[in-house]
Amino acid sequence: MTSIGPDEDLWHYDGSSAVRHHPRVDWDADGFILRWETGASGPHRWGDLVPLGGTGGRSVYGLRGVNGWRLTFAGPPPAPFAVHLPLPARYGRWVDQLGLWKALGLFAAVAALVIFVVLRAPAWIAPHVPMAWEEKLGDAMFGDFGGRLCETPASRAAIEKLRRQLGNDVPIRQIGIANIRMVNAVALPGGRILLFDGLIREAKSPDELAGVLAHEIGHVRNRDTMTALVRQLGLSVLLGGFNGNVGGAINGLLAMSYSREAERAADQYSIDAMRAADISPLPTAAFFDKLGKLAGGEKAERTMSWMASHPVSAERRAAFEASAQKGKRYQPSLSAAEWRALVDACKQDPDVTKGPVLGF
Amino acid sequence: MADRGERAFGFSGTWRDYAPIALTNLLLTIVTLGVYRFWATTRTRRYLWSRTRFIDEPLEWTGTGMELFIGFLLVLGLFGLPFLFLQFGFQALILQGYMALAFTLAALAAAMIFYLAGVAVFRMVRYRLSRTWWHGIRGGSDDKGWAYGWSNVWRYLIAGFSLYLLMPWAMISLWNDRWSAMSFGPFRFSARAPVGPVYRRFLLFYLLPFGLIILAATIGLPQVAQDPSQAPDAAAVRTTLLFLAALFIGFYVLLPLIALLYYAKYMRVVIGGLSLSTLDFRFTARSKDWFLLILGDIALVVFTFGIGAIFLAYRHWKFFSDHLDATGEISRASLTQSTTAAPGQGEGLADAFDLGAI
Repeated sequence: MTSIGPDEDLWHYDGSSAVRHHPRVDWDADGFILRWETGASGPHRWGDLVPLGGTGGRSVYGLRGVNGWRLTFAGPPPAPFAVHLPLPARYGRWVDQLGLWKALGLFAAVAALVIFVVLRAPAWIAPHVPMAWEEKLGDAMFGDFGGRLCETPASRAAIEKLRRQLGNDVPIRQIGIANIRMVNAVALPGGRILLFDGLIREAKSPDELAGVLAHEIGHVRNRDTMTALVRQLGLSVLLGGFNGNVGGAINGLLAMSYSREAERAADQYSIDAMRAADISPLPTAAFFDKLGKLAGGEKAERTMSWMASHPVSAERRAAFEASAQKGKRYQPSLSAAEWRALVDACKQDPDVTKGPVLGF
Repeated sequence: MADRGERAFGFSGTWRDYAPIALTNLLLTIVTLGVYRFWATTRTRRYLWSRTRFIDEPLEWTGTGMELFIGFLLVLGLFGLPFLFLQFGFQALILQGYMALAFTLAALAAAMIFYLAGVAVFRMVRYRLSRTWWHGIRGGSDDKGWAYGWSNVWRYLIAGFSLYLLMPWAMISLWNDRWSAMSFGPFRFSARAPVGPVYRRFLLFYLLPFGLIILAATIGLPQVAQDPSQAPDAAAVRTTLLFLAALFIGFYVLLPLIALLYYAKYMRVVIGGLSLSTLDFRFTARSKDWFLLILGDIALVVFTFGIGAIFLAYRHWKFFSDHLDATGEISRASLTQSTTAAPGQGEGLADAFDLGAI
């Protein structure tokens, strides 16, 4: 049996009161025991001793199972005592076992993989979500759009004609005109497309609208809305790991839009569908030109974040222009009367909800 | 207890000692996509506590990263996901035309967050005390803070109804409430901070914007509203510009400075009203000290392009322990172990609401 103390450089708290004891420590291969004038602690096994971070060269140990039990050396513990002790934890168990640099490398690799999977996974998962689920989800999220859809018998027929020409084999459940003064169109989960009234008013011809509609039909066919939903859900959970603010900002940047590739694919679908239907792509090209000017020209657009998910208008215009066949005689997608029916749909529909829309 | 003319609290850390901790924390937090931050917090606190001496022995932090992480996961599961769902649901309900239901639900959710934010502050203090040891003794509270959450709600509501004139009362009475529920060893903290002393500075802060507006109306308007048919002379233009600059400084420099003045007094008053058994606490930071602290913070962050932010926790803790003092005797024999239940998880709630220290 070996022993040290009692001296000023060695002290002990028993965890039941704040009184400081200066014990003598006796130990052998199995364990140790503390003894002081008014009491004793032990024998304890070496395995129950827990190293705690020290201060300014001090070494502090706790005892498993006894809260507040402390044994402190003013310097490093004497060598014959120290050989029985495990090292104090530093970074956390996994990192300590691996070593800092190895752990950094491993975590970085895992993080890169996680980011890659999170960015890619939605596109893998979305096609496997049953269409029926998506339809239910879309219905739950958007319902009848708060009674904001404009429809007359004539407008319904005109839209049906466009659908037949541009997406006859795509599972579209509804194409609606929303009484909202925004130059926009959206594809919603569940195979529904909304053309905003502002877009129809802004369009110079039915062919312009056809190009935009075909783009949204492309999103429906590629199930891009489901992809975006899955991504948003995944990011919300994953980015919980960061501080609220940082996570929210990244989430907003990544989640609320389709990827650029998805947008290009939808444009390509639009170009192909219009070619198959003999509709001229030039009015759509002109429309992108107008959109680009609305966004403050190409330079401004390239720096503006809200357009960042879409390819820049100038590129899109060029793609649509290039797809035009020289000398070809295109058919107008709608007759003048049918076009009129679309433009006037919101005026003619007596029971549509009006006024600014909330939550959108 | 400070019998040798020494302060009861002392901080002996150095930023060079802390730098390796801060830098590795930053690296590990980045490569784990933020998950390591719970362990990072723990390492930082273990360092800061162990370099903070109270009388003859440093403090000790025994919290773990895992318990902070579990607390975070619990809050995410219990509150985060329902709120995520509610966000989707709110939009859906509006689009389906259930306006009344949508706004009722949103109001309920807001009230719930308000309530939980109060509970979170309470539980954060309780968690930190329960993981803080000195001479083998820890602190804690037997109160779980659910009732405190309600008094947080109604006091701030009353402060709101009084056009925020009762704000200092709400802040100080809530401080007294939560610290009176805390204990260290067998002793309860007694928190009896008076509301009166902070009112002068609060009113200064409260009335300054009105003063500025009145000043603008009496001096500024005649300048601006001169006869438009005459070309304004250079002197008038200069006066107007000077006046606008003064107004800008008033709102963006003077107002925050007075807020700081108030906060400095507030901290001195609430900590000055705090005692534990025969120990009386004191906080000595003057407004000037706070001003220099914040100026230093800004410089540190700006001149290092943000990386210096990893030292903010260190700076704030050092500031806090440098200005904290206690007087009176405490008998070690009577300072026995705390019998309070130690919370199982960390600061999940406070963490979720992004609440700061103290």
